[in-house]
Amino acid sequence: MIIDAHGLRKTFTTRSRKGTQTVEAVRGVDLEVGKGEIFGVLGPNGAGKTTTIRMLATLITPDSGTATVAGHDLLKAPGAVRRNLGYVSQAGGVEEATTPRAQIVMAAKIHSVPDPAGATADVLARFDLTEIADRPGRTLSGGQKRRVAIALGLVHSPPLLFLDEPTTGLDPQNRANLWDRIRQLRELGTSVLLSTHYLDEADALCDRLVIVDHGLVVAEGTPGELKREVADDVVTLRLDEPERAAETLKPYARETRVDDDVLRVYVDDGEHTLPTLLRALQEQRLALSSIALDRATLDDVFLAKTGRSLRDTGAAA
Amino acid sequence: MIRHTLLFLVYELRNTFRNPIWPLFGIVQPVVYLLLFGPLVAGAAGQPISAQLTSFAPGMLVITALFGAIGVGYGMIYELRSGVLERIAVSPAWRPSIVLGRTLRDGVVLMLQSVVVIVIALVMGMRASLPGLAVMVVLIAVTGLFSSGIAYGLALSLRDENGMAQIMQFFALPVMLLSGALLPMTLAPEWMRKVAVFNPMYHPVVAGRALFAGNLTDVSIPIAFAVMLVLAALTVTWSVRSLRRIAG
Repeated sequence: MIIDAHGLRKTFTTRSRKGTQTVEAVRGVDLEVGKGEIFGVLGPNGAGKTTTIRMLATLITPDSGTATVAGHDLLKAPGAVRRNLGYVSQAGGVEEATTPRAQIVMAAKIHSVPDPAGATADVLARFDLTEIADRPGRTLSGGQKRRVAIALGLVHSPPLLFLDEPTTGLDPQNRANLWDRIRQLRELGTSVLLSTHYLDEADALCDRLVIVDHGLVVAEGTPGELKREVADDVVTLRLDEPERAAETLKPYARETRVDDDVLRVYVDDGEHTLPTLLRALQEQRLALSSIALDRATLDDVFLAKTGRSLRDTGAAA
Repeated sequence: MIRHTLLFLVYELRNTFRNPIWPLFGIVQPVVYLLLFGPLVAGAAGQPISAQLTSFAPGMLVITALFGAIGVGYGMIYELRSGVLERIAVSPAWRPSIVLGRTLRDGVVLMLQSVVVIVIALVMGMRASLPGLAVMVVLIAVTGLFSSGIAYGLALSLRDENGMAQIMQFFALPVMLLSGALLPMTLAPEWMRKVAVFNPMYHPVVAGRALFAGNLTDVSIPIAFAVMLVLAALTVTWSVRSLRRIAG
């Protein structure tokens, strides 16, 4: 176990003229991340993902809870934790005026890496940055900067890497490129804890994940397990009387859910169930305006656990 | 501990001098005062400029320290926003070294800036005591530690450029005028002289005038060193603590 955290809590207090406000950012999170795993923390903005990562990275002290990170007690030995950690924040921390090479060499020196220049050359090559290594940071593209940020966190070969929303703001090509590089870390045995609000990212990258909402873990498992828990497939119907349709289809479904004029029917083996559903609707003279059959996604898991769609929480914006 | 501080100091110095336009920018204001205000003071006092500069130039060094701090404060806010500080905070670096390395860099930069300002004043005809000049450069470095300490403490506490700008604007001008850097406090009414003593920047200006004039045993010199060393220790400690607050 590379991370073993129990009951992490953090409440922030802000004082303003309107009085004191408290925000319970994290309300008791347990995380168990195995060695070599890519572990995801999926949730909408404000769910407590960044606060959780910042606590585990020794940046904020939890109000309560215990954690062992990379073999050391988070609260008693934060210095030892830091030596074994790579941390890439949302902001990235790439300096504008300095070249990637100079920044990475400096990071290597701070970590007392035996051969800072050599380690820097290695990590630059691994992230295809050698050509741009001697240009000032401000001249780099968003995707290049992101790769420099990760190289900065990896130059000392830490057993554990934290990535806070690694692909936010990147275009599709750069995202796919970065996903491949994160997968390569698994081959090298580096454990990764990444936070994301992208469903496809969590699905594509993570060996296991937790879904967090309002500072609590609402689901945990492999992407496959989580989705199977809900259903194999989702039939999405648009029609005038969704409530009556839901009643009609209930016997054939694992679950039904109505949002405005949209009815979602969760079924196993959707290809074969679909004709049955259509027949049942026809018998009840329910007129359909559209129908779609999809594989269940992590969004369906989120919807099942929280009653909201991750897409509707403004996270995708 | 010392290794990390030196590491940051060297790294930051290299960054600063890769593009020396900013430290040069920092001495524009004092040099403009030297060139365009010094002669006015000399004219008002009915003295030749060469004599007047001996008492006018020390104030310009203090102004360099004062306004240089504003710039480094903004630099720190940028490092906060871009995630650079956060990244360094999740490293085995000894925490105080992160701020200490930057503060010492400011001291070194300020010493070099002081030398340039002094050379310009000498070219303009200033006569001054050489050992006095050397001691003044050291005093200015300590003054710089104090003002950087304030700037970093404010930057890390406020974490906001606008708040920083307002506070700096609010204090910079009265502090400058009450230091006697532009016009000596000997011209001031009684109440102003009493208030000026409580302005930290007043002391290096007075001590600087004694040093430039060659009065190396003047009591204002140990007073200025004592005041600045104590205040520098306090403000640098404050800035180091402020860093702890944002980064655990």
